[in-house]
This record gives sequence, C-alpha cells and structure tokens, in this order.
Amino acid sequence: MDSQSYLPVPPGVGMEENFLSLDDILLSHERLPSRTECLFPRLGYLEKTSDSQDIMEGTKMELPLWLAKGLYERKRRVVSVELPKVYREGWRTVFSADPTVVDLHKMGPYYYGLGSQMLHFDSPENPEIAQALLQTFIGRFRRTMDSSQNAYNEDTSALVDRLDCLERVLFRMGQSGLNSFQGWEKGRASHLTTSALVLNYRKRKMADLQA
Amino acid sequence: MSDALSDGGSDHDDSQEDVMTPVELIAKLEEAWLNEKFSPDLLENKSEIVECVMEQLTHMEANLQRVSKGDTKASVHRMEIDRIRFVLSSYLRSRLQKIEKFFPHVLEKEKSRADGDPSYLSPEEYAFAREYLANTETYLKAVALRHMPPNLQSVNMMKAVPEPCLDSFVFLRVKERQDNIMVEPETDDQREYVVDLEEGSQHLMRYRTIAPLVSTGAVQLI
Amino acid sequence: MDPSEVEFLAEKEVVKIIPNFSLDKIYLIGGDLGPFNPGLPVDVPVWLALNLKQRQKCRILPPEWMDVDKLEDVREMERKEESFTPPPSPYYMELTKLLLNHASDNIPKADEIRTLVKDIWDTRIAKLRLSADSFISQQEAHAKLDNLTLMEINTTRSFLLDSLNCMFKLRSNMQPGSGTGKALDY
Repeated sequence: MDSQSYLPVPPGVGMEENFLSLDDILLSHERLPSRTECLFPRLGYLEKTSDSQDIMEGTKMELPLWLAKGLYERKRRVVSVELPKVYREGWRTVFSADPTVVDLHKMGPYYYGLGSQMLHFDSPENPEIAQALLQTFIGRFRRTMDSSQNAYNEDTSALVDRLDCLERVLFRMGQSGLNSFQGWEKGRASHLTTSALVLNYRKRKMADLQA
Repeated sequence: MSDALSDGGSDHDDSQEDVMTPVELIAKLEEAWLNEKFSPDLLENKSEIVECVMEQLTHMEANLQRVSKGDTKASVHRMEIDRIRFVLSSYLRSRLQKIEKFFPHVLEKEKSRADGDPSYLSPEEYAFAREYLANTETYLKAVALRHMPPNLQSVNMMKAVPEPCLDSFVFLRVKERQDNIMVEPETDDQREYVVDLEEGSQHLMRYRTIAPLVSTGAVQLI
Repeated sequence: MDPSEVEFLAEKEVVKIIPNFSLDKIYLIGGDLGPFNPGLPVDVPVWLALNLKQRQKCRILPPEWMDVDKLEDVREMERKEESFTPPPSPYYMELTKLLLNHASDNIPKADEIRTLVKDIWDTRIAKLRLSADSFISQQEAHAKLDNLTLMEINTTRSFLLDSLNCMFKLRSNMQPGSGTGKALDY
C-alpha cells in the first residue's frame, strides 16, 4: 500500500511557493547576486568586506532569495538582482540546442524552481526565461521518463545525477509506479507489513518502559 | 442452512423510500470510492450511501451471528462483507487524507456555503477538520511562533496551505454521452475546441473541464 | 492507486467454475450467486472462484480469451497496429496473474499464456510511453484513451499526471500576472 503515516508537503511549482514545504524552504535560501540601490544605514556590520557603518549604495553582495524577494519593490528600487548565469541568453541558447546534455543538478539544483522565482523580479528577459524553462522541461521529459521506467532494482544514482530537484521528484514517482507494479507482479503485494506508524509506536512504548 | 441468510439484504430496503437496490448501492459506493481517490479536490460527501452500506453490513453481520462458523454460505457472506468494508474504509480514508491536505480551504468552503446547499463534509468530517486546524495551530505556536517577535506570531493558514489544483489532469470513463465539451487550449498558438464524450470512451483531460460531470455521475474517474 | 487495489477490482470479474459440491442460491448484498450443483458450470466472481479453488471445492474454467491461439492473434495485432488494440479483457493482466498463480492446473498451456500476456503487456506499455511523450511534447489538452486498461493507466498515473501539472505551472509562468497574485510574501 502506498499510504503513508504522514504526507510531506510538496514544493510549489512555478511562481508559487508552499510555505510548509521543506524543498521550498531550501529553495528560498538559494543565493542571488545583488546590488544595493540605496544606502542601508547602520547595517554595515552585516557586510564584512568594508568597515563602514552603513551599507553603501552600489554594494555588490549575495542575498538569499527570500530576502531579495522581500526587499525588492518595483516602484522604489532598493536592491537590484542580477540574473544567475544559467538563465541568461548564453545558457538559454545551449538549452534550446539540446536540453538533455546539460547537468541541471550542477547548474541548479533548483533550475525550474529558482528560474520561476526569478520572474518575480521585473526583467525584460522574463518572457524568454519562462519560455526556456518550459521548453527545457519538455525537452528533457522523455529522458526522465525512460530512465525512471528502466531502473528497477538498479543503482539509480548515475541516472539521477544530472536531474534537477523537480525532475528527481518525478523520477522517483515513475520509479515507485514501476516498483509497485513489479512488486505486485511478483506477488509481493500479498504480504502484509506492519505500518511504520505502528512500528514506531511500539518502539516508543518500549523506550518509555525502559526509561 | 439457516433461513436467516436466505432472505439476504434485498427485501430490507422496503421500509425506506429510497428505491436503490443493494446491488446499485454497492455500485454507487465503488463509484464514489474511485472518484474520491482520483479527484484532486474533495468531493461532496456521500453520507447517505455510507449509512445505507453500514446498515446493510450490520444487518448481514447480525444474521451471520446465528449461523455456525464452518458454514460454507456464511463464509462467502463474510468474504463479501470484508470486501465491502475495505472499499468503505478506503473511501473514508481518502477523504480524511484530502481534508488533512487542504484543511483551511475545506473549512473555508464550508463556511461560505449558502444555507440551502448540501455540505461537502459529513458532521464527523467537519469535526475532524476543525480539530485538525486547531491542533496544527497549537503545534505551530508551541514549537515556533511563540518565540517570534509579536508581530510575526501568526500564520495565515489559507495562504500557507496549498489549494487543491483543479487544473490537474485526470483519467476518466464516460457513463452518459456528453456533447460539446469545451477543451481549453494549452498554448497560445492552439485554439479551443469541443469534443464529444461518447459513452464508454476513456479520456485524459483537465479536472476543471469535467468536474460538474463527476458530481452528476455522467463520468467516472479512473 | 496501489496495484493490489486494481487487482481487487479485477476480482469482481465473473468466471465460470465447475463446483464439486451442492449449495442453494446465495443472496449476497452485491447480487445473487448459484445455485451450485456438482459438475454443473456456474458463474461466480473471481474472488469466490479463487477461494473455492483453494479449498479444492471447484475447477475454474479459463475465460475464453485465455487461449494460446487467441492471444497469439492479439499479440500479432498489438505489434502491427500503432494505436492500442482492444485488450483481451479490461483486466487481462490481473486475471492472468490471479488465475495462473492459483489455478494453473485448470488452464491449458499456462506457461505459454503467461509469456504471451507479458509480451502483449510490454508492447502496450511501450506504446503508452510513446503517447505520453508526444502528449507532453505537443502540449495537448485532451487525449482519447479508449483501449487502455486500468492497470496500464495505473503504472504511469502519478508520474504522468505530476509531469503534466509541472508543465502547466511552468506554462502559467508565461502569462504575466497570473502567478504573481498567488505569490506569497512572508
């Protein structure tokens, strides 16, 4: 049975974020190259490269996504965010030539997630970025599917290596579909197993007794 | 062989105005089970079906009490009861799972329901959803929120918990022919078009397009 | 859905058995069964047939399609046609497994049947993957899947549906303003 005692909150795809998803929390810590567009008074202690009391206008620093998103405003420029290389035109050309050759884990690992989040920052390139994300996903789909369907009981690390986090989730989904079918075919489904919840409860009870 | 078993469940509905036969009832339960399993959204509750099935089961079990253990007929009845119970609990469980997943939205929908409209939740499910919300809030408060600065001590559950995605694709089988179902385009260079859903045919399309047909029973999710 | 739940649905299919006992009609909640007379074929659901078989109370007659010649034709057709041909039974995979595992002595040429069904399955699953890929790459909004069986759909369901959802979200990125309304700011 595929029922679990707890259901993890899946990451939001695209521009949405799920507040209680662990993946999205990790994604929100991705660092973005940014530049301050005004003076930040008395926050100099956060910026270790200078001794100034303030953070000066025009300082380049890396900000986590959550902070950059929070500070960013369309009307009043407080910070400007630079597009990470992998979403720039040069790489977009590489992706459109053959998306399957790229190691998205190395480039990412949140290629689609971070890419979609970048659309929150007004950039003239946004339509091209969004298009590139979609086309890359479609271009790599066949490979993700085929590798997930041919990997029963094998060491899958080589197959998974080059997938972005979103693709890995899908890969595992494909695998579990295949595994549960093949398990059923071999008659493994007819054996009942204790649910993890009950098992843990027993362990906890034992621990309580021993305490 | 005891006569208790020979009259079965078929004469048992006479007292009710409901004209559904037990055979139809079980078919309805299985239909509701699969629809609930595959729909991305919580469907309206089928308390009536659940109650009728429970009644059938209790009635049958009471009859079986009077029969000796080794009786072949009784063992067949017991197997059938087990099968029906499985569907029933799997159905209720998949509803609970969705309530846990979407609890703020489920409760909001219930709150904004017009007076005459039927509730999406059974009374028990409603109680469960409210308790689940309260427990989640208490938990978040205890482990994190109370340590936060005063202006950050609340979480907007409606925003924090993702909504059901009605744009999910579903597989379905058509039970009653439907003409002119509008299929919205996926890309800018496609146009919207209509399809006819013939009886017995199977399709893959967006849940949003056919959601009303699921609740009328014209299509079955598979 | 778990494959065992699909199997559960397959167990409602009706097969013919030849009982070696006699029993009057059974009035089940889900319909009447019997009467049972020794040597006379009678229709029962698979779950009951298998139970009676395990208790050595009957012989199961294989369904008509579970026949080497017929299945060879099906395999031929399936390999020749580009689209899905009508399956031998909507539960051909599940029934093959159930009947061959529990009643192989009642089914002539059981091993050959097992291989044939597996061949048919593999051909169909390969087609399913091809159509999934083209559905995604063409960004289709609707597909007709008439001859697919529940077990076939089920092996790829969560993968395909989740992929389609991802694609939908990535595509809604391109409509300016559509995602921003939902964006959360904490």
